[in-house]
Amino acid sequence: MEVDSIPQPTQEERAQIDSADLVVGILADLDRDDIFMLCDGLRNLAGSPRIVVLQRDPVGNAVAVPSQDTSLSLLPWSAVGPDPLGEPLQTMSLACRSLFAVTEKMSARACCLLASRMESAAPGWVCQLVHPLLESDFDLVAPYYAPSKLQGLLNSSIVYPLTRCLYGRKIHNPLGPDIGVSRRLAQKILGTNRNANAGPSQTHPLASLAPVAACDNLQICEVHLGARHYPPTDWMNMSSILGQVLGAVFLEMERSAACWQRTRGFVSVPSHGERQSRSQETGTLEMNRMVETFQLGVRDLQEIWGLVLPPATLFELRKMSRLTPEQVDMPDELWARIVYDFALAHRLRTINRDHLLRSMTPLFLAWVVSYARELDTVGAITVEQRIERLSLAYEAAKPYFISRWRWPDRFNP
Amino acid sequence: MWDQVKQALDQSMTNFLTGLAHQLPGLVALIVALLISFALAWVLAIVMRRLLSSIDFDERLNRWGFASLREWSPMNSPSRLVSRTAACIVILAGFLIGIAAFDAESTSLLVQSVFGYIPNIVGAMLVLLIGSIIASFLARSVLIGAVNLNLHYARLLSLGVKWLVIVLAVAMALEHLKIAPGIVDLAFGILFGGIVLTLVLGVALNSKELVTKSLERDAKEPSAENIEEPFRHV
Repeated sequence: MEVDSIPQPTQEERAQIDSADLVVGILADLDRDDIFMLCDGLRNLAGSPRIVVLQRDPVGNAVAVPSQDTSLSLLPWSAVGPDPLGEPLQTMSLACRSLFAVTEKMSARACCLLASRMESAAPGWVCQLVHPLLESDFDLVAPYYAPSKLQGLLNSSIVYPLTRCLYGRKIHNPLGPDIGVSRRLAQKILGTNRNANAGPSQTHPLASLAPVAACDNLQICEVHLGARHYPPTDWMNMSSILGQVLGAVFLEMERSAACWQRTRGFVSVPSHGERQSRSQETGTLEMNRMVETFQLGVRDLQEIWGLVLPPATLFELRKMSRLTPEQVDMPDELWARIVYDFALAHRLRTINRDHLLRSMTPLFLAWVVSYARELDTVGAITVEQRIERLSLAYEAAKPYFISRWRWPDRFNP
Repeated sequence: MWDQVKQALDQSMTNFLTGLAHQLPGLVALIVALLISFALAWVLAIVMRRLLSSIDFDERLNRWGFASLREWSPMNSPSRLVSRTAACIVILAGFLIGIAAFDAESTSLLVQSVFGYIPNIVGAMLVLLIGSIIASFLARSVLIGAVNLNLHYARLLSLGVKWLVIVLAVAMALEHLKIAPGIVDLAFGILFGGIVLTLVLGVALNSKELVTKSLERDAKEPSAENIEEPFRHV
């Protein structure tokens, strides 16, 4: 296809695009071929819905698509404007809220955010994400990426088990970031954000999706999308990632406390597509360095951890820090309690929230080391079995968390 | 001659006793003022201590990052420190009132100059308080950041930053109090420079690896997917 010779929609044509059935926002770094593949896939959706594809492009241009194609418009994100929120799309949070606002403005039935690249570039993966929204009226379509041993560990260690335990839905990647959202859910998220004061109390839309959908009994499903391409992990710079991601998750926990305190057990959500496995594992861990950071944390961060963690936990950590790097093993029960204690300290503002979450980094690294070592042993269990065991530990410790949440001063073992 | 000596002694005794009699009401007033101020200070200290205990003031200070205040406080209780400070201020005020009643003419200048100095004291205390807050915050930030970077001298770095800020705050407070400004300037320069030099030496001798890694990281191509990285890693 001679794409360069095809003109983009003019300013007037853009202004006329005031309604759509589906809005797709692309934040992923996709090249021209990927975008055409994606558009081809979307054109083949049943029922020929009108689709607006928004592409984030700093220079304000989108890849051109045939102008005779009336069912699909590809626009630079900045063209749907002025930006409904009047802010530049510098963060994923703003991009999400902008996408939801555009969905609302165009009265679209659903929207879809694409923020990752898949390792096997199957053209249909976007349609898989969209299909349950348009055909089966699901409100939240979450991705189910092929499990990876050394990637997405923040999700495996905290976000997934915590979401499953608190909100009672087995959503493997509750923070997406490739997600499908119905207009109804998008409205709720926008409403939640409007009710919260702008600033630190405003929750992250991605962190709010699964809790809001679960607490409001909306329809949730998962789609097997295959192996996701993760950006390389800088293990020595984990603290800012921990701070931002857990800050959003803990803030949402605080907002929805009334809901998760009532929730008992969990249910699996329907899943679509074929389960896929990762062809090869990438990434390495500097285990000795991670253990050193943990030991340094035990030595130097006592005054901070002492404000957050109960004495029994501190004792366990001190005991662990005296072991050799090969012996360091963080039990799941201890890890679950640590996460709960930090969530509580975040709520109580025991210390500055950024300091609090950053000080959790050495503990997270210790968990990563013991997790990776366990999977490396001969005859080891699979990643999914390991995460399942961790999730059970979170569930076992939930009564402890609820007690501490309700009576933080009285219940302090 | 003896008559003259006796007369002189009588006169000086009369003068002394007359002077003493003139000062007596002022002296009594001073004692009464002191007694009343002591009583008021005692009541105020009790009320303040109970009030601060009821709002868990000591715990709150810990949470706000003023754990070090505990070390400077009587019986390790910042509530006691605050209540005793308030009591001391009341006693000082009573003393000044008593002094003013003792001899209005000669002491009014003293009282005036003491009251004129109070804004300087309040200003200096504010500078110290803000300095202490900033020092605690920065020390904690540096400590956490350094531990996460696996720097073995994290605590030294944190302490260095803390004392840098505290030394700066103390120098500013003394400057505000107009206490030996020349010496304060000199001492501040020496102390500040000394701490900076110690930190530079400490960090430079231990951070070759850190600098190398940092330069390597900077030299890498920035990712095109530069929109809020954290959620891409989850």
